[in-house]
Amino acid sequence: MPSELVVNSWNCQVTGQEPWPDDVQLYQPYETEQILLPDNANCLAVQAFLKMCDLKYVVEYRTNAEEMSPSGRVPFIKCGACLISDFEPITAFVGNKGISLSAHLSEVQKADMRAFMSLVTTVFGNAENYITWLDNSTYCQITKPRYGSVHPFPLNHLLCYLKRNTVIKKLSVLGWADKTLDKVYAEVDKGCGALSDRLEKSKFFFGDQPTELDALVFGHIYTILTTPLPNNRLASTIRGYPNLINHCKIIEKQLFDCYGRPRKSIGWSSTNNN
Amino acid sequence: MRQLLVDVWKGDWGLASVDLDCLQVLAYLKFNAVDFHINNANNPFFTPEGKFPVLRTKGQALTKFEDIVAYMEEKNISSDYGLTKKQAAETQAYSVLLREKLFPALQFLWWVDANNEKGLTTPWYSKVLPYPFNFYYPGKYKRNAEIMIASLYENIDDEKDIKDKVIGEAEKCLTTLSVRLGTNDFMFGSHPTQIDAMLYAYLAPLLKAPLCSTSLQNHLKACTNLNKFVSRISQRYFSQEHHEYEKKIKNEMKNKNDQIEDDPDIIRNQILAIFFSIVTMVAYALHTGLIKRAT
Repeated sequence: MPSELVVNSWNCQVTGQEPWPDDVQLYQPYETEQILLPDNANCLAVQAFLKMCDLKYVVEYRTNAEEMSPSGRVPFIKCGACLISDFEPITAFVGNKGISLSAHLSEVQKADMRAFMSLVTTVFGNAENYITWLDNSTYCQITKPRYGSVHPFPLNHLLCYLKRNTVIKKLSVLGWADKTLDKVYAEVDKGCGALSDRLEKSKFFFGDQPTELDALVFGHIYTILTTPLPNNRLASTIRGYPNLINHCKIIEKQLFDCYGRPRKSIGWSSTNNN
Repeated sequence: MRQLLVDVWKGDWGLASVDLDCLQVLAYLKFNAVDFHINNANNPFFTPEGKFPVLRTKGQALTKFEDIVAYMEEKNISSDYGLTKKQAAETQAYSVLLREKLFPALQFLWWVDANNEKGLTTPWYSKVLPYPFNFYYPGKYKRNAEIMIASLYENIDDEKDIKDKVIGEAEKCLTTLSVRLGTNDFMFGSHPTQIDAMLYAYLAPLLKAPLCSTSLQNHLKACTNLNKFVSRISQRYFSQEHHEYEKKIKNEMKNKNDQIEDDPDIIRNQILAIFFSIVTMVAYALHTGLIKRAT
């Protein structure tokens, strides 16, 4: 239904000028039983972004959110007649309504922000996918039971197998599938190093106000730190960068505390991986 | 240091190499004023990983850009020593941006877009590769690119939508780069660094190749500072190739003009052709009775 998608995006551009409605819904899989590390990071990043913009939304949990999404990826938001999925299109859609977190930045800073966002999605996104789907112990202990939990036998095995194949195919064209696990951790470390050097001692990446980049970094880092995995090297790699952890804590406090939604807080010890 | 040997795809259109990865390495070595010899090997079959570039030194053959950069750093050669930590972080971010947004578009334009693939890429590689490899490699590259595009955009079925999406992303990326470069000579001031080598490798082939589908190329041509950036590097660091190509183009133009002017038969031929066609038409008219002879 690609033609429908085109019409849809056209619609969104036209209706995009209207103010933010009250009944926007954000669809995502169930957090406790179903969602996987990469999806959770993306969902949290979008939620953080919407909260930073002070936009109202309701989270709707669906077991088949992935199939409902126009791009096949979660999360997606439903705003009036429009369905928009993925972080970047959602920020663009919100930007069309005149709401933007990066409006105060200079053009060069915006360019830098785009580059760093690309760094975060590529490095963290691919590493999360690699560990979730290609690392054998994680796949068997976490991914398979969780992904299959919402489907009856034999669909739970079949769908999981198919999904794994698509992820592997995608990672291999991006040149990640033939990396070793150590190399993946090294990439994450390098990416964290770059982010940490960029952040330095400041509160947010660009001055005193959070931007889209902050939301995206928060989504990934918070999720990696709080998701229990058989091997917690990913989280401990990030813990090597105290300013990133601090950045994450500041955002958590500002956004999620006052909304009264209890979330797992970031553990400081590197042993709470169960 | 002994002279290094770099095996690459041969150059064309005024570039030292037409291949992105090769050009990146060549530019990086040139920026660092490393003494090296370019070998236009043109057959990746006998390389360690089946692809170019290969940098051969004592008993080692390096193929990846990062490995080559690391090797140079071991020798205390790096263009990035003057950068701050923040700038090094930016280098990393922009290199990922190029890879994520521009690389799929280049693959698409080179191998998936039918006009370019049939009109430029496959013929070029078939001509350059030795027999029988010329039957194998172009097809392989085409398949790889198709698999790449298909798995990156698995949820879009229509080819035109994919094209719009890929090219749109790349255009946005080019605009971002153009804004970032601004009026600077290079990304970080007046000296080229690693990121400039990468940027040059991505932009130069896109700018110089005689593509048949030119939507993205036109967008790049409209970004004047990126244009100047490419010609600046071509002139400063690849002056030999640049001048040779310009000479070649000039000669070709001159030859064409000369041909037209020098041909003494051309006017005679034209007159003969006109005369012959008039005779034929009149004869036909007479024959069919359109014109009647007075009797």
